[in-house]
Amino acid sequence: MTEVFEDQVCPFCGCLCDDIRLEVENGKVVKNDNGCAISKAKFLNHHDDRIESPTVKKSAVSLDDAIDKAVEILASAKRPLIYGLSSTENDAHREAYKIAETLGGVVDNTSSVCHGPTILGVQESGEAAGSLAEVKNRADTIIYWGSNPQFAHPRHLSRYVRVQGEYIKDAKADRKIWVFDIRKTISANVADEFVKLAPGGDLELIGALRAIVRGHPLDVEEAGGVSIEKITEIAEALKGTKYGILFFGLGLTQSKGRHRNIDAAIRLVQDLNAYTKWNMMPMRGHFNVAGANKTSTWQTGYPFAVDYAKGYPRYQPGEYTAVDMLVNKEADVMLNIAADPAAHFPRAAIRHMSTIPVINIDPKRNMTSLLAEVNIPVALSGIECDGSAVRMDGLPLYLRKVVDPPDGVLPDRDVLKMIHTKLRKVVK
Amino acid sequence: MNDVGVEVVLTSGRTLKQGQTMELGKLNQKYFEAVAICEVDKSTLEALGLEEGEPVKVKTATGSVVVACKLDRRAEPGIAFMPCGPWANAVLDSDTIESGMPRFKDMDAKLIAAKGEKVPSAEDLLKAIVEVP
Repeated sequence: MTEVFEDQVCPFCGCLCDDIRLEVENGKVVKNDNGCAISKAKFLNHHDDRIESPTVKKSAVSLDDAIDKAVEILASAKRPLIYGLSSTENDAHREAYKIAETLGGVVDNTSSVCHGPTILGVQESGEAAGSLAEVKNRADTIIYWGSNPQFAHPRHLSRYVRVQGEYIKDAKADRKIWVFDIRKTISANVADEFVKLAPGGDLELIGALRAIVRGHPLDVEEAGGVSIEKITEIAEALKGTKYGILFFGLGLTQSKGRHRNIDAAIRLVQDLNAYTKWNMMPMRGHFNVAGANKTSTWQTGYPFAVDYAKGYPRYQPGEYTAVDMLVNKEADVMLNIAADPAAHFPRAAIRHMSTIPVINIDPKRNMTSLLAEVNIPVALSGIECDGSAVRMDGLPLYLRKVVDPPDGVLPDRDVLKMIHTKLRKVVK
Repeated sequence: MNDVGVEVVLTSGRTLKQGQTMELGKLNQKYFEAVAICEVDKSTLEALGLEEGEPVKVKTATGSVVVACKLDRRAEPGIAFMPCGPWANAVLDSDTIESGMPRFKDMDAKLIAAKGEKVPSAEDLLKAIVEVP
């Protein structure tokens, strides 16, 4: 029998497309309509390449034994690091923060290696916020800066930009798309204007744009790899728009200037608001990394890089961020949830991970599962268990369960709750 | 050892194939083929004397990794691209300048032709990283 699910939310990227139509047969998703190529790959292969059983030192054990081992390791830690959270739903996050508080440990999420600098920039200069619906209905100038949505957010353009809106009657004629990047990406190909900047030249170019927007002439020929003539033309175009949106990706947060790039971009948007309406939005990658920042802020007061060593939460990016905790050889145990740090951290961090016990909670096999002393398989959020997640513009959406997880496999939140319940009995 | 190569700025990021194959499994052959690559322009390939698909060593101050080279027809000389993942991160500097964020996007790198060398699997790469004293 075929079961049909309409308007399912896709748990892949920060777009959280909520118009997916799924067909389920015999406990497997067999058809995905409306989803992008990555969404189809995620739903149609949800049962492939799973961690088949809880393991301790690569030997299969029962779930209870794996949890007992995890509790034993965590309870003996002096400086535990709890990390991940961006590919699971909000209720699992709550349990992770409880574990961090009980242990007096550090809890960080994957935003420290994606839009962490965005948050630092916002803390410096304020947050420009608005919804994707505003973009769809009003935006006549769209910038993608250091972002390649055609690959990373494949339906972003078709759902919010190259589409008719309340005040945008002709999606092609009434909107102008600019791409700013150091290389001509596939997204640059579909843009109306491509601005190629020098690698690491973002901060300089934004600074020059700000100066010209504010009417200060610059006595140089170029800035950030772009001629002053072109920068002047861009500044006039940005001032002349009715509603502009600056979408920015990791090209801005992971390059030379990090949070200073974001700080400057926010100031540029503030400058432009003296002339017209401008807004900006980070292109969030994992489907609930925005949620991890929200839940961390609700529960601890801080969006990432939180340390409970003193019994109360403290915040220090650069010190309590996962890469630094590992590279500085500070963490003596790592509890990883819904992330793959062994695949996405620099080698010095991975090398330290290999010297400490790693407890890995994830549905699928990956580089971290190869390193981990304890592996606990869990259900895939938004496919095998429900929950809530936060879209890139801050909108929370409900993820539905469409199939049962494999036998004996529980959601992250239940596994973490079991760990926390046992930890409370052994940690003073 | 012959260290003659082409100096580039190395950047990394998501590709559609990287995203798709990641969902098939990160230890999967298709993920390996989609991610253990370095995209360059035609003139860089010619300078290295390599055909598309042949191994190239990507070397930074942090370390080196061998991946398959790939032609990007839109690319220009001076910039090389690797999909985000274990192979790109194997040459990534770990300094976060107290921000938490390593510099994934604009690394100074050198590309060296590596004909005859093997592109390591995810398992082999991990082993090589953790076994260094």
